[in-house]
Amino acid sequence: MNTILRAEGITKHFGGIAALKGVSFELAEGEIHAICGENGAGKSTLIKVLSGVHPRGTYSGEIFLEGGKAAFSSIKDAERAGIAVIYQELALVGEMTVAENIFLGSEPVSGGLIDWDIVYRKAGELLAKFDIDIDPSDRIKDIGVGQQQLVEIVKALGKDSRILILDEPTAALTEEEVGILLDILRDLRAKGVSCIYISHKLDEVFSLADRVTVLRDGEAVASLPLEKTDRDQVIKFMVGREIKELFPRGETRKGDILLEVEGLTAAAAPGEKPVLRDISFRLRSGEVLGLGGLMGAGRTEALMHIFGAWGYRLSGKVRLFGEEVGLVTPGEMIDKGLVLVAEDRKRYGLFLDQSVGFNLSLSSLHGLSRGGFIDSEKEFEKNRDASGLLRIKAPDLETEVKSLSGGNQQKVVIGKSLMTGPRIIFLDEPTRGIDVGAKVEVYRLMNSLTASGHGVVMVSSEMPELIGMSDSVVMLSEGRVAGRFEGAEITQEKLLAAAIGH
Amino acid sequence: MKSVRSIRDFSILIALVVSWVFFAVVSPNFLGARNLSMLTIEFSITAILALGMLLIILPGNIDLSVGSGLGLIGGVASVLVFKAGWPSPLAMLAGLLLGVIIWFLMGSIVAREKVPAFIITLGGLLVFKGLFWLVIQNSTVPVVKGGETNLYSMLTTYYLPPAAGYALAAFLVLVLAASRIASRKKRKAHGFQLEPAEKVFLKLFISAQMIFLFVIVTSRFRGVPLPAVILGMTAFVVYVITQHTPFGRYLYAIGGNEEAAVISGIPVEKVVIGSFCIMGAIVSITGFMQAAYAGASTTTTGNLMELDAIAACVIGGTSLKGGRGTVLGVLFGALLMASLLNGMTLLAVSPEIKFISRGLVLAIAVWMDVKLSRK
Repeated sequence: MNTILRAEGITKHFGGIAALKGVSFELAEGEIHAICGENGAGKSTLIKVLSGVHPRGTYSGEIFLEGGKAAFSSIKDAERAGIAVIYQELALVGEMTVAENIFLGSEPVSGGLIDWDIVYRKAGELLAKFDIDIDPSDRIKDIGVGQQQLVEIVKALGKDSRILILDEPTAALTEEEVGILLDILRDLRAKGVSCIYISHKLDEVFSLADRVTVLRDGEAVASLPLEKTDRDQVIKFMVGREIKELFPRGETRKGDILLEVEGLTAAAAPGEKPVLRDISFRLRSGEVLGLGGLMGAGRTEALMHIFGAWGYRLSGKVRLFGEEVGLVTPGEMIDKGLVLVAEDRKRYGLFLDQSVGFNLSLSSLHGLSRGGFIDSEKEFEKNRDASGLLRIKAPDLETEVKSLSGGNQQKVVIGKSLMTGPRIIFLDEPTRGIDVGAKVEVYRLMNSLTASGHGVVMVSSEMPELIGMSDSVVMLSEGRVAGRFEGAEITQEKLLAAAIGH
Repeated sequence: MKSVRSIRDFSILIALVVSWVFFAVVSPNFLGARNLSMLTIEFSITAILALGMLLIILPGNIDLSVGSGLGLIGGVASVLVFKAGWPSPLAMLAGLLLGVIIWFLMGSIVAREKVPAFIITLGGLLVFKGLFWLVIQNSTVPVVKGGETNLYSMLTTYYLPPAAGYALAAFLVLVLAASRIASRKKRKAHGFQLEPAEKVFLKLFISAQMIFLFVIVTSRFRGVPLPAVILGMTAFVVYVITQHTPFGRYLYAIGGNEEAAVISGIPVEKVVIGSFCIMGAIVSITGFMQAAYAGASTTTTGNLMELDAIAACVIGGTSLKGGRGTVLGVLFGALLMASLLNGMTLLAVSPEIKFISRGLVLAIAVWMDVKLSRK
């Protein structure tokens, strides 16, 4: 088979951190090539280099397209060369119709005006060609997320792309839609289209792909035909180390029940369909409770709702330290001793333009004030203590948070929460996008918190983390509890089965 | 970031010096004691309003209604004094209360009902203008009855006697020096970066000179105008609020990242409503001062003052997106706006040209803000 796309020695830095370290990669014509790796391994960065999001000059290394040197200075450039990317986050306009979206940016024009007949006819033909049952005149916002994903793919195909890059395309799809998607991709392979397929789901990778390249910490550690490998080997390549040393979870003594959730049912707003249905769990002191499930299973919503930052309660009870609490504001919950470290730290955690000190003390200013004025001496001391405890690497407390690395930013967010003196800590994807060293520090912190009688609820999408750090695990699926596991029952197979809802 | 800030600081200073030199050359009266005294009063009113605007803009809101609002509040007080015969302190207290209540309501709508502040206050601009004209019945209502003086009129006609002015200046310089030294000591103990001692001394020295020069010049006319003292107190209070209270931190936090502020446990609604309430009080105070300065409430009182206040904030480095801005910056911005207006009035520039100039300054200031924040 001919090689259509080749990358050699790609190195890309963000600030001082290397996201890719000399990665080489080859894609053959008519091949489906899977890229696997943990979060932060460099998969997305590699795609962005290949598709012109990171333009030439911002990375080192060479890209060859059909043997000739290629260097894209923009996404448009890459598209013109026949490379189309379908990202995790959809790039569709909700208010426009399916057909309008498919031809967005490449509308067929006659006499200066858009020829709407052609738009709708061609869109219909494209959809029909892949057996997708969507009306081209439907608005994007009125169709399901899975269907939107299919539209996105059709949109890419409408540009006559020869190379299709899919970044976690099935994360939000139902099983049936996954089936359609995989069929489409097989069909395309038969027609000679090449495909780079990024997925966490090894089942899909093994049923679909011809070859797999595994990235770890910015390096390509293996590139093998799939018939010469198996799941265990791929996982070993991905993790690259014994799970035990990565997850230093030890035994802790479990004590009183800190938090008890009973039959919690909640919706985004009154009158809407519940997102959480009849959720119950208990958290003891000294315990790390893992909350798992697929994207959209309601994990984040569950934490946010109990914390008072999301949704409308239809029924159910929340008991904190034995006392029932109703709908409260996050501020009141923090006063009661429960804090939340949210998933997307840039969006929900940090004040990027402000200093480390400003960020750290923000949630505990009342305790640091006397007569309505902030006691700056006390504030400084507490900030210094927190910064030292979490080993935040920053020149000083006046350094702007945006200049810190992801791991240190995450420590600042955690520090802000811990400075409120909580007994219960909700951690939503606490190690997303931070390097391995910082991850281990976060795990150690969870250990020392539980050792001193705190309770931790951790949402995680990373199976090894969920398995390695949790004393017990509650799996959610479509807003319901799909399984509870403790100790030795916590295995990848059991958790996955529960997540999918079997 | 540091260089951006210094470019911004530097450009305000240059603009100030250029405009002052220009006006001084074209109109010798500009630097006369009498005009500088008037400029002080105009600057004080603009700056007080702009300091209120800072508290609104920091959490990411805007208030377009302050100009007509201050007309209304001043008008209500004038009518109470002149037509209803109320004692002026009582009339002003009533006006202040009304101002705080109105702004509390607007703030509640913005914070609780999530109606954009731009729209609410744009509506307020028109509603208050209409109410104002109803209150004064489209006429001119003096702030005092026949030739007397009262507390209301004294707001802009009272001057500190020179001795008091010098004493105040000396006190101010001492406090400034003491606080600089204390904060430097603290920063050193905390291991923060320190400015070179020479620079600190130079800044302090120049500030002290400016303060005394100001007292010397104003004493050559009638003394330090009361509005300057009111401004000083307002600036001090706003400075303390923004830098030393949880409320102030929350203003910056909400403007910097509202979603993160909610998760951090900040009572966002209360804080926003609080900022509007303070604005209500400040609008009332500037309303009284503006009416007192003109001697009466007339239909044009307060016209377009919201734009001067916003311009002062932006020129002073306040980000319209929220989260960034300082008291000192706003004071410089207000000084530039007040100087431009005063100078143009002195030169008898036609109202047309005045409108155009104010508009251009506002547009250029915002353009620079956008350009500099993108870096």
